[in-house]
Amino acid sequence: MKRVVVFLLLTAAAAAAEVPPFAERVRMAIELYAHPPGGRDGGYVTIAARLYLHQESAWCSKRLIELLAGPPGGDMFWMYQVTAIAYLDGGQLSDEARRALRRSFKTYMPYRGDTENHWVMYYSSLYLMAQLWPNEAGETWYTGKSSEENLREAQGWIESWVKLTTTRGQGEYDSPHYMAMFLIPISELAAWAKDPAMKKRARMILEYLVADYAAENLDGLYVSAHSRVYERALLEKAASVAGDFGWLLFGVGHKPEPFISAYAMYFVIAAQYEPPEVLRLIATDRSRPYTHYERKRTRNRWRFYDELHGPVYKTTYVRREYAVASDQGGVLQPIQQHSWGVTWAVPDPRGVQNTLFTMQPYQGLRELQTYFTFPPDGPVADIIRSKPTYDSPDKLLGGSPYEKIFQNEDTVIALYNIPPHTRFPQINGFFSKDLADVREDASGWIFARGGEALIAFRVFQPYLWKPIQGGSQRLFSPYLQNAVIVQVAPVTDFGGMDGFRTTILKLKLEARAEPVPTVRFRSLRGRDLQFTWGQTPSVDGKPLDYAAWPLFGGPFLEAAVDSETLVLKHGQLRRTLDFKNLTVQ
Amino acid sequence: MRALILTLFACVPLAGQYRLYTCMITSRGYVVGAALPPSGIFQKPANGAWEHIGYAHPFIMALDYDPRDPATLYVAAGNGLIRATDRGRTWKILTSYDVTELRDVAVDRNAPGTIYFSHTAGIRVTHDGGATWHPADHGLRRKYTEALRVDRKSAGHLVAGTEDGLFSSNDGGNSWTRAGAAGFQVLRLEQSPHDPCLWLATTQGGGVFISRDCGRSFENLGRTGVDRNLYDIAFDSGRPERIALSGWSVGVLVSNDGGKTWQSRNAGLPRPDVWSVAFDPGNPGRLYCSVHEEALFVSDDAGATWRRDGLEGSIVHRMTFVPEAAR
Repeated sequence: MKRVVVFLLLTAAAAAAEVPPFAERVRMAIELYAHPPGGRDGGYVTIAARLYLHQESAWCSKRLIELLAGPPGGDMFWMYQVTAIAYLDGGQLSDEARRALRRSFKTYMPYRGDTENHWVMYYSSLYLMAQLWPNEAGETWYTGKSSEENLREAQGWIESWVKLTTTRGQGEYDSPHYMAMFLIPISELAAWAKDPAMKKRARMILEYLVADYAAENLDGLYVSAHSRVYERALLEKAASVAGDFGWLLFGVGHKPEPFISAYAMYFVIAAQYEPPEVLRLIATDRSRPYTHYERKRTRNRWRFYDELHGPVYKTTYVRREYAVASDQGGVLQPIQQHSWGVTWAVPDPRGVQNTLFTMQPYQGLRELQTYFTFPPDGPVADIIRSKPTYDSPDKLLGGSPYEKIFQNEDTVIALYNIPPHTRFPQINGFFSKDLADVREDASGWIFARGGEALIAFRVFQPYLWKPIQGGSQRLFSPYLQNAVIVQVAPVTDFGGMDGFRTTILKLKLEARAEPVPTVRFRSLRGRDLQFTWGQTPSVDGKPLDYAAWPLFGGPFLEAAVDSETLVLKHGQLRRTLDFKNLTVQ
Repeated sequence: MRALILTLFACVPLAGQYRLYTCMITSRGYVVGAALPPSGIFQKPANGAWEHIGYAHPFIMALDYDPRDPATLYVAAGNGLIRATDRGRTWKILTSYDVTELRDVAVDRNAPGTIYFSHTAGIRVTHDGGATWHPADHGLRRKYTEALRVDRKSAGHLVAGTEDGLFSSNDGGNSWTRAGAAGFQVLRLEQSPHDPCLWLATTQGGGVFISRDCGRSFENLGRTGVDRNLYDIAFDSGRPERIALSGWSVGVLVSNDGGKTWQSRNAGLPRPDVWSVAFDPGNPGRLYCSVHEEALFVSDDAGATWRRDGLEGSIVHRMTFVPEAAR
């Protein structure tokens, strides 16, 4: 065991030694996007990066004019990019380029979008552009509103969103991809808003969002249950932008590959926000295991519910070797929800599928009509056109109304109660090609090792293995009532799989599928966990108190529902973001 | 001089002339943030050609016009309620950040400064042409409202088609009473141009509902469209008994007896998936329909035969005929 600890310490020390300081990381990233390898042109991102570096202003002007003559497209994704260019200009662009940019806000009407990240991008950009071009009449804007009217509207949305986020949680939470679409526009606002209150608010909510990520990252990988994640990043955790943010903000993980994408605009404006020491420690200190709680919101539920938002209850257990994370199950977000999973740490996660989870492959018009304004015909086909796996029995992404989840520390119990005639009456489990020592035990448990994490997995109905292209396996269990238990532990606690197996087999376990799935399990941590479909789960006989679930809770972050405050904690360090009074203490 | 007289004559709208406005998108492959396809409002004057007006916008669901000045349109859009003056060319968003993804709009014919719109989370009204807006959905438990109409003959009387059926208000949206179709999502709602007490509503899966008591109560109109989704209703302003419906896997249905019987009018259409349908009030018997991602089709014999009429690849959510001049 000592050898393992020494090895880990040495590895960490070596990694730390390689990571340049924040300012240098920012500079490296900007250089990367100003001059992408192979002479590639990143469009608006490259223009912004070169403007930041005060390089090739004539090229920037010419390229900007070309792009705007395109004509513009991309809605709010276009807005935040040209907003950055407008503010990085600093007298470098030609008058013609500047006029073209100004004209585009009259001739092109970006769609405001239909979800939270869209609106953040749209209104942050509109705010800044209205600020940049004040006292101009409605005739000069695509909105038909004057600069002051645009500014006021944008300010109204931003303030209402900040309040909602700091009282009831984010709606499009913890997405390892879409986190960029929040951090970029909010960073722009924090950098360039002139109104001191708006600037402060933006800077504080930026820190709030970064803290949210910091507490749920493992070496830069976003490990929590996600509102939205793409399929590749679902399995290969490093294949998302979250890892890039980890490297840039906290020096963990690996330097970003020169991948040209609009999100890279963040790097161009990253210099203006360096996380404070307490946040850096929250993001990097995994010396002690901890359980972190969050309450979020569902996406706007336009139909079928009396309340616009429903609560999302998240639990994330993190330690150096692995993380276990979950929400309560159900359809909380459309299409791209990921409700629970185990993520194990590996020295270099690139190309590694370092996760394990199960899910029920639900799809349906009701899900789409809850969260979108879709008519009843066409949308499922449209979704399948852009996301072909949505209607696949093999899929591994998405929430299900027939899945309920309960987590206590590094134990997860997932129950499945699927009505007859459901399109895909089964559960799917993801077993990575990168698991080692996979053993189907005669007891019914499946044991496996992921990095330095030992995993015990139990599914209570028969199952089959289905191959996944690339070498991973899908566990397929086609039963209407089912249950899954996962118990994870570090290798260091047992020295190896045999000791772990022996201990797991001694744990008291009762389970039955009918009339509804129910599980009672004595966890490795000594807790008596009980969970029955349709009932509140309990720990040592005490039902979970969802009403008392904090907005943030745990050793690092603390916020009560409706509080409009967030306390960042590490050791003796405290930093309080008070959005009511716009103060940081 | 003769040329001048002819020019002037050409500029004077003829009584009975209408301009067709479509709310449409060429949707194939479009997701938010992608390159914007042809979308927004396309208009065509009588005997004219299609013209795109205003901005491209991927989310325009409906429009209505100011009866005092038909060159002023009110447009239900993703970005808000838009006033489009100069026959739709000059736009101003009249609403703010607090409403999104509008579904329908209705100008009160009894009080043209009063405009209602429905959106994802309810109904709003302005009494001052859009300067200020107020909620008009008090008492609606489920707010999502796809269809909204103002009774053109009875001030303050509204009918709303929500996700949970039809509701009627006699006080401009201050209170609502259930009017029928409970449990069904309403997709379209129209008042007969001939009989203000005759209303029709179409639903998701529940068929057609009819009101003969001025929109106070609705009852199911037989089996027509049950288990299908009917997206639009069109009354023929030239023939009181002629009504058209459109829907998915239904295509176009035409009734010549006020809805007692229906005939399929799909011969010549490439597929029976039709979003919207509209009779041309200026051309008796002329019927338009929007076939999913195919084109707009037109028939001069009430759907017996069809020909393509442009807007290739489009979904037209709504067609609205607007008079060339105020009456």
